[in-house]
Amino acid sequence: MSAPATNEQRADIFFYGFLIALVVISLGPIVLMLLTSLRLKVDIVSDTASLIFLPTMRNYETVLCNILWYTPQHVEYCNPTFGRALGNSLFVATVSTGITLVFGCMAAYGIVRFRFLGRGTVSLTTLLMRMVPPAVLLVPVFGIWSFNFCFGEDACLAGTHGGIVLIYVAMNLPFVIWILQSFIKQVPIQLEEAAKMDGANAFQVFFLVVLPVIKPGLAAAAIFTFRIAWNEFLLANALLDRSTRTVPVTLVNSLTEHDIDWGVIMATGMLLAIPPIIFTFIASRQIITGMTAGAVKG
Amino acid sequence: MPKIHFDHIEKSFGTVRVLPPLDLQLNDGEFTVLVGPSGCGKSTTLRILAGLESLSAGEIYFDDAPISHLAPKDRDLAMVFQDYALYPHMDIARNMSFALRLQRAPRAEIAAKVQRVAEMLNIAHLLDRKPAELSGGQRQRVAMGRALVRDASTFLFDEPLSNLDAKLRAKMRTELAEMRDTLDKNMIYVTHDQIEAMTLGDRIVVMSEGVIQQQGSPEELFKTPANQFVAGFIGSPTMNFLGGSLAREADRLWVRGDGFLLPLTDEQSGRLNGNTPGDVSVGIRPSSFSADPKVGAPIELHLAVSEYLGAQSVLVTRCGEEEVLVEYDSATPMKSGVSMTFGVRPEDIMLFDRASGARL
Repeated sequence: MSAPATNEQRADIFFYGFLIALVVISLGPIVLMLLTSLRLKVDIVSDTASLIFLPTMRNYETVLCNILWYTPQHVEYCNPTFGRALGNSLFVATVSTGITLVFGCMAAYGIVRFRFLGRGTVSLTTLLMRMVPPAVLLVPVFGIWSFNFCFGEDACLAGTHGGIVLIYVAMNLPFVIWILQSFIKQVPIQLEEAAKMDGANAFQVFFLVVLPVIKPGLAAAAIFTFRIAWNEFLLANALLDRSTRTVPVTLVNSLTEHDIDWGVIMATGMLLAIPPIIFTFIASRQIITGMTAGAVKG
Repeated sequence: MPKIHFDHIEKSFGTVRVLPPLDLQLNDGEFTVLVGPSGCGKSTTLRILAGLESLSAGEIYFDDAPISHLAPKDRDLAMVFQDYALYPHMDIARNMSFALRLQRAPRAEIAAKVQRVAEMLNIAHLLDRKPAELSGGQRQRVAMGRALVRDASTFLFDEPLSNLDAKLRAKMRTELAEMRDTLDKNMIYVTHDQIEAMTLGDRIVVMSEGVIQQQGSPEELFKTPANQFVAGFIGSPTMNFLGGSLAREADRLWVRGDGFLLPLTDEQSGRLNGNTPGDVSVGIRPSSFSADPKVGAPIELHLAVSEYLGAQSVLVTRCGEEEVLVEYDSATPMKSGVSMTFGVRPEDIMLFDRASGARL
């Protein structure tokens, strides 16, 4: 123990110090958010802020007041905004992920397995589409969604769930096609030929053989798409109205000049983080190594 | 079982012609082996029959009905792939029953068929495992089981044993031979291994560069090869070819080369029928040499290496400049570096035209 530290041990100290710093940087804000969400307003704004306080679920009760099965005592007026936003977010993210995957896997399969005029161009341009930053799309999409696609007096695509799902699908499709292409390329062609010999038609080959084999790819694409749709703020802020707003937009809108209830905001933030974690956890169980293990001679 | 007839089928990939017009008629219930070196078009022929490749020209008939417009699933064929091609996400039972499930066969019938075939192939205890948990030999059995469950009229095998190790390959070969005798089906088997071809085939079709060199029973191919290619391809160790020329001396035809002079039989001379090309290739099988120089004509060989294989040894010898393989009983000790006289019976000698390779 008393022996002088060797160079290696010193390097270890630096290495672990660096790791600890990284952990603090990435976990610090989350811990702060969690602690704040568990405090009463008095505790948050008091000058003697300390780590010692009485944790309370009041902020969460406030946020979820219209979803809870009981009426929290401290809530005088139940603001339904957050409950509605959570529903909106779940709907928009799930539906856009589903649609993106359905079209994405079929498009990727077509590009990989079928020979047609302009195949290379299609493959390349889908990825180029991804290079366009969403902010660039914002103005034209806002204009078109608000004025060109209207049904009836003042109901337009802007402000509807359909409008935002459409733009999310368009935004994520290129990447999903691109990521699934590489997975489909790894499926041995003999598997498809074997299925054809076994009497499968083109759709059965795709749905019964190719899709189950690329499940890890679908899961990865699903996590990616869901997270983008869940977190997206810019387009959602511009295109959605009061009743269709998603959680990120609601969160920002609750920072008003009259009153900032940090406890409620932090509780909302915690709740915002939970669904993607659950979704990622479920989806990542599909990502197992060696998706084609045992299919063909390695 | 349908009679299969390839009527002048052709296949080109772009400008590369893989199969020149190929005409082949397969008999009912026969085990046909397509054999040839890599790239000779045997696999392409099989894939065209399976419907996995399209035809560039020609037509395939099953009992006089053209089938080249049919999808693979409508041809009533089952195929075993070289790389097994098992569905990795299904267990073995589901792998084997995939075709039947697509046909919407009754569940009880599927289970019974799978069980029967699995017992036949000794894989009944593996039915609930995934392909990744199986060894190479077991996977190969499953691949065969998947084809057998189908009860199709014709079975296609695309080099099914080439991924197995030597011992397992020999075992599976024997099992396939047994299976051939119990199943009354058309079987078409592609391989580059002449031993598989010889042991399994009722009829062997030897191909080279897309052209059928010869077809016939294993014995026909071994005893009466049509040309130098077939003679060199069939038989192990391979036939020796020595350059030589024909000469008439003492009222008899002789073939003379670098370090040997061998007489021809009357039957061989008669077949030549006065047509005596200057340059010939003399083909002698390694098994045709006898240690007793008094058997037939003597030929002196210089021993270079002796490869001990157990009961038999293969001697690598030189005759003049050319290498000659001799099969020899290991019981007699051999010394390398000495010259020894062997006997060759004239009727075991085959003559080939040096230019065209055709048998004379």
